[in-house]
Amino acid sequence: MEQFKIETIAPLTVAGTDLSFTNSSLWMLISLISIAAFLFIGTARPQLVPGRMQAAVEYLYDFIRDMLRENVGKDGLRYAPLIFAVFVFVLACNLLGMVPFVHSFTPTSHIAVTFGLAMIVFTLVVIVGFARHGLHFFSLFLPEGTPIFVAPLVALIEFLSFLSRPFTLAIRLFANMTAGHVLMKVFGGFVVSLGAYNIALGAIPLVVNVALTALELLIAVVQAYVFALLASIYLNDAVNLH
Amino acid sequence: MPQFDPASFASQIFWFGVFFTLLYVAVVRPTLPKVGKVIDAREAQVSGDLDRAEAAKGQADAIRTAYDDGMKQARDAAQSAVAAARDGAAKAAEARLKQLAARLDADAEAAAASLDLARANARAGLESTVTELTTEAVAKLAGIEVTAADVSAALAAR
Repeated sequence: MEQFKIETIAPLTVAGTDLSFTNSSLWMLISLISIAAFLFIGTARPQLVPGRMQAAVEYLYDFIRDMLRENVGKDGLRYAPLIFAVFVFVLACNLLGMVPFVHSFTPTSHIAVTFGLAMIVFTLVVIVGFARHGLHFFSLFLPEGTPIFVAPLVALIEFLSFLSRPFTLAIRLFANMTAGHVLMKVFGGFVVSLGAYNIALGAIPLVVNVALTALELLIAVVQAYVFALLASIYLNDAVNLH
Repeated sequence: MPQFDPASFASQIFWFGVFFTLLYVAVVRPTLPKVGKVIDAREAQVSGDLDRAEAAKGQADAIRTAYDDGMKQARDAAQSAVAAARDGAAKAAEARLKQLAARLDADAEAAAASLDLARANARAGLESTVTELTTEAVAKLAGIEVTAADVSAALAAR
């Protein structure tokens, strides 16, 4: 579990709380800088006929906008920048954590960070829900056509499932990233231990690890997509109330 | 697992908050709407171009229809003119034919009438000649004086 270890780089304590700048913070900063470079270069001189970088930015942005249009409708497009920010942040953290040889760290493999991301989505949903529908937002917990005698039960279940959303959102991302990284480490360990015994034997887990790396890259992208997709589905509840 | 060590939670969430806020406020907010604007402008231009093309097509269709209508009208007019000319010519020919036939009929009738007249005259001439001859022959052969009226009566009786 050494790859998930938090290492303090610059100690910082505020009011008795440890807020040190750690390797997790460093890789979030690297993600931020990468995204900033990507976006600022891509939108430096926006043109009707886009260049490569602009086309790349547009592609990602269109991807998010299409997702919102499909899941939320036209009203959802207002939240495209925020969902986009969540998406690229998760994507950058996931992908940069895969860079070899540089002591890379995946901030999204820690539940504290994924929970922070999930809370952003959850808070957005609650704020948008109450802002658009006021107290009527509570009708989300009682689907239309529910028989009156099961209504309290249904409302309770719906309410609990609503409250569990940030947790499931956070745990899904954290668990996927952690499990994949652990698996890669395990097979990396096999390469060393079996390779020490016999070089040819060491090649087997190495081949597996190459395939796992590809899989892990796929998971890095897919999980960012899933996170953004679920965020837009939850947002749909807030905007359209089922 | 270090993930479940609460000691680092505060720091992680704090720095996450800092960097995500920076990302949203200082990176995404100033850049992304520019791209959105460009995308919208492009869509507007494309749909505008499509609309213009549609309008031009409509115009072309209208011109085409007008042309076709004009052609049809001209063809109809030409056809009716040809038909009228043919009818006129046929009528005129018929009329002249009729006229000619009438004249020919009249000529034939006149000829027949004059023929009849000539025949009657000839007959009348012949009768008087025969009567005269008979009168003279009777006088010479029988020495009987007969009048022309007697001869006529006798001839008529035969």
